[in-house]
Amino acid sequence: MSSESSKKRKPKVIRSDGAPAEGKRNRSDTEQEGKYYSEEAEVDLRDPGRDYELYKYTCQELQRLMAEIQDLKSRGGKDMAVEIEERRIQSCVHFMTLKKLNRLAHIRLKKGRDQTHEAKQKVDAYHLQLQNLLYEVMHLQKEITKCLEFKSKHEEIDLVSLEEFYKEAPPVISKPEVTMGDPHQQTLARLDWELEQRKRLAEKYRESLSNKEKILKEIEVKKEYLSSLQPRLNSIMQASLPVQEYLFMPFDQAHKQYETARHLPPPLYVLFVQATAYGQACDKTLSVAIEGSVDEAKALFKPPEDSQDDESDSDAEEEQTTKRRRPTLGVQLDDKRKEMLKRHPLSVMLDLKCKDDSVLHLTFYYLMNLNIMTVKAKVTTATELITPISAGDLLSPDSVLSCLYPGDHGKKTPNPANQYQFDKVGILTLRDYVLDLGHPYLWVQKLGGLHFPKEQPQHTVIADHSLSASHMETTMKLLKTRVQSRLALHKQFASLEHGIVPVTSDCQYLFPAKVVSRLVKWVTIAHEDYMELHFTKDIVEAGLAEDTNLYYMALIERGTAKLQAAVVLNPGYSSIPPVFQLCLNWKGEKTNNNDDNIRAMESEVNVCYKELCGARPGYQLLTNQLQRLCVLLDVYLETESHDDSVEGPKEFPQEKMCLRLFRGPSRMKPFKYNHPQGFFSHR
Amino acid sequence: MDRVVPQAVPLGQMEVFQALQRLHMTVFSQSVSPCGKFLAAGNNYGQIAIFSLSAALSSEAKEESKKPVVTFQAHDGPVYSMVSTDRQLVSAGDGEVKAWLWAEILKKGSKELWRCQPPYRTSLEVPEINSLLLVPKENSLILAGGDCQLHTMDLETGAFTRALRGHTDYIHCLALRERSPEVLSGGEDGAVRLWDLRTAKEVQTIEVYKHEVRPCPSPILLALPQLLCIRNSLLPPSRSAPGPTTGAGSDAWQPTQTGWDPCLSGQVCGGGPALTLWHLRSSTPTTIFPMRAPQKHVTFYQDLILSAGQGPCVNQWQLSGELKAQVPGSSPGLLSLSLNQQPAAPECKVLTAAGNSCRVDVFTNLGYRAFSLSF
Repeated sequence: MSSESSKKRKPKVIRSDGAPAEGKRNRSDTEQEGKYYSEEAEVDLRDPGRDYELYKYTCQELQRLMAEIQDLKSRGGKDMAVEIEERRIQSCVHFMTLKKLNRLAHIRLKKGRDQTHEAKQKVDAYHLQLQNLLYEVMHLQKEITKCLEFKSKHEEIDLVSLEEFYKEAPPVISKPEVTMGDPHQQTLARLDWELEQRKRLAEKYRESLSNKEKILKEIEVKKEYLSSLQPRLNSIMQASLPVQEYLFMPFDQAHKQYETARHLPPPLYVLFVQATAYGQACDKTLSVAIEGSVDEAKALFKPPEDSQDDESDSDAEEEQTTKRRRPTLGVQLDDKRKEMLKRHPLSVMLDLKCKDDSVLHLTFYYLMNLNIMTVKAKVTTATELITPISAGDLLSPDSVLSCLYPGDHGKKTPNPANQYQFDKVGILTLRDYVLDLGHPYLWVQKLGGLHFPKEQPQHTVIADHSLSASHMETTMKLLKTRVQSRLALHKQFASLEHGIVPVTSDCQYLFPAKVVSRLVKWVTIAHEDYMELHFTKDIVEAGLAEDTNLYYMALIERGTAKLQAAVVLNPGYSSIPPVFQLCLNWKGEKTNNNDDNIRAMESEVNVCYKELCGARPGYQLLTNQLQRLCVLLDVYLETESHDDSVEGPKEFPQEKMCLRLFRGPSRMKPFKYNHPQGFFSHR
Repeated sequence: MDRVVPQAVPLGQMEVFQALQRLHMTVFSQSVSPCGKFLAAGNNYGQIAIFSLSAALSSEAKEESKKPVVTFQAHDGPVYSMVSTDRQLVSAGDGEVKAWLWAEILKKGSKELWRCQPPYRTSLEVPEINSLLLVPKENSLILAGGDCQLHTMDLETGAFTRALRGHTDYIHCLALRERSPEVLSGGEDGAVRLWDLRTAKEVQTIEVYKHEVRPCPSPILLALPQLLCIRNSLLPPSRSAPGPTTGAGSDAWQPTQTGWDPCLSGQVCGGGPALTLWHLRSSTPTTIFPMRAPQKHVTFYQDLILSAGQGPCVNQWQLSGELKAQVPGSSPGLLSLSLNQQPAAPECKVLTAAGNSCRVDVFTNLGYRAFSLSF
């Protein structure tokens, strides 16, 4: 025991020498290793269990020693000190052992720590490796699904059906023995077949293309040939013109007209076609022409204007203008009116030649915005006419065509829609514009194929209601009759103004040879003046005095007797007779109101006019009526009872031969002239 | 003067002709049907139009009911006179008498029953018949007109039995004194003659113009009294109590007790005999009515005298010569008055007046014109 303790002491001392270096462990350790034995190595050699036993033993020894010391100390004595000393030395040895054991324990701990650390690093490395591997697995799995999900392009190709494939494909491609069982091979084979077919079709396409190219080239060549033909033909046509003229075959002219006619608005076109057709078929005296600028008409068609849009636009504008620009409103309205009443630049001219070489020129216009047609008329005669004052209105463009059909005075627009258009721009009635625009007669609309509903249901059936074509003949005949009757009147008025009633030889039999009463005045009067006359009331009330009629005043005189005759000349003369109203100034004023015989005279000219018409078409009617009026006045005056209380002979001696002077309850005078015998009788 | 301008209706050739015809129409004669519900009117174109008075007078009368029920062409010339027997309508115009069955006419069949022409001497012109007069007692018809004679015709046989000559100018009108078969006639020659039908002789003559009292100093009045018009009153107010004086000589007339009131009226252009009331027995004018315009038709109605002529009015006179009323009509001149007195149709008791227009004015009472029937 003591040896052990001594052995332990030595290193202990040395170590205590080196104790200050203990803080700087590593260096001192390495220094000590070199110099001294290595305690670390000792550790490996020692068994920790025995160290633990040793530790326990040492602690027990110490405890025993401490207790012995305490025991000794408590007993006190001198000898005790040595024993104590001894014991103290023993304790010190034990302490040394404890110290050593402590160091060893420390070293062991450090070693253990190092070992743990090392093991841990190893584990970490393995973990990392594991993770890498897992990632790789995942990636591979992804790749696999990708591959599984892959779609081939061939699936989009619409392949021919299986049966078809085996039927049509050559066995080289189809290889039935291989493909029948293997769907993959089968698909491949089918794809091959598809490719084969497509190749063939591509070939075909290429062939067709080249074919087309060839044909195009051919067409080009032929076109060139044709276009070179046109100038040649033109030159031939040009050369043939004199021949055409020579042979009276105006093909070329007609062709030109048709060319122009293409630009006519539809109503004028209808009129043009129908009139041309009628002229060729039935009436050689009718000639048709188109006037106006074709270019303007073309220009009109280029911007296809939508009229409805236009209107709504103008609506909006109008509203705006009323809000903003009040001062210019009048000017704008004026412009709008002009726009509304605009005519188509092209017009159709009809020239209607009558028997006596007088010509009725009719110019038909089309009002684009109102969708109505108008006509202007002009009459030219072969010989210059001396225009009597009273005949002023007869051939005036304003009235010459008035009431061609009853009531058709051409002052009102036939299109009911126009009234609304007029309201917008403040036009009261078309009447104010007809002089400028021409008259929108109903028959004009019908010739143009325009049909408008009538305001009142028509109670008289006029001619034929089917349009244009069927209307053409009637209208043309009416037009001719109108012009001729107007010309006849024109001539008659010239002599009437000079107080001569022209009676043609074929009408002489209607009147006695001697007529004393003379026409002294023949003047035209205004409608208003006629209405104001006191003896025309009946006619006005019967509705026979319309303002479209022409009014005249005739004065027939014999001696002191003056017979005024107010004449209503219907535009429809001579199919509609002139109507006379009489007023005799002789011994007081006598009218049909207070003298039955005046009434009888009126009825003699107004009702019994049919025998006065003379030769057809009865243009002598007016003059015959006037002449009869002269005769009637003679009869009236001559049969008037003589007043015995007046000295001297009768003013009007009876020269006419009468069977009886009076007859019937109303004491009529014998107004009827019997031709060959020459006497007068009662009707 | 206010002139009503009618709405201008476009007139065609036919319409104008018809309008002119209507404008110059004169209605000369009227006759009421035996049933009292219809009125026949004859115009100067020889047409007879039948109007239904009962329809026009009914409360739900429309414009159409004032138009003729039937119009038919009866004669070539004017229809100057018409009378109705209990079955027939007899019309006369230019020299011919025609009879129509009322029943047939109303069924719109206008076939004439018979026609005959009095024996005329002249051939150059057919004389007109201005007046027809029924003599119920003898069942005969008296015709007078252009040939200055009165012809009596037996209605049963259709034969002309007598011709009464005496007038020097044509005869305008006839009137019957029923008690004694005597007929008065007035003519253009200015005379009224009284004929005895039994002897066929002229009993008395009044030359009216000789008694003319000029109502105004017009110089020609006396010189040419041309027309005398005698009208028997259509209504015999005292038929049940005929006065004793009626059997006396011509021109005698007693206002108070007349069974037959021949009223004389004259007309002359520019003057002429004025409407005058004559006393038959003494042949003297009793009352001269102060009316200058010539009167063409006169009739008695109760104690009034109705007269019409030139001018649009129906004049109503007291027997004393006072003008009681002037009722304006629609025609400028009237030629015929007709009082519908048929007991069969009391609701149609009206006065109708026609003349120089196509309208027949209807007066439901004497005070005013109710409406006009129109051709």
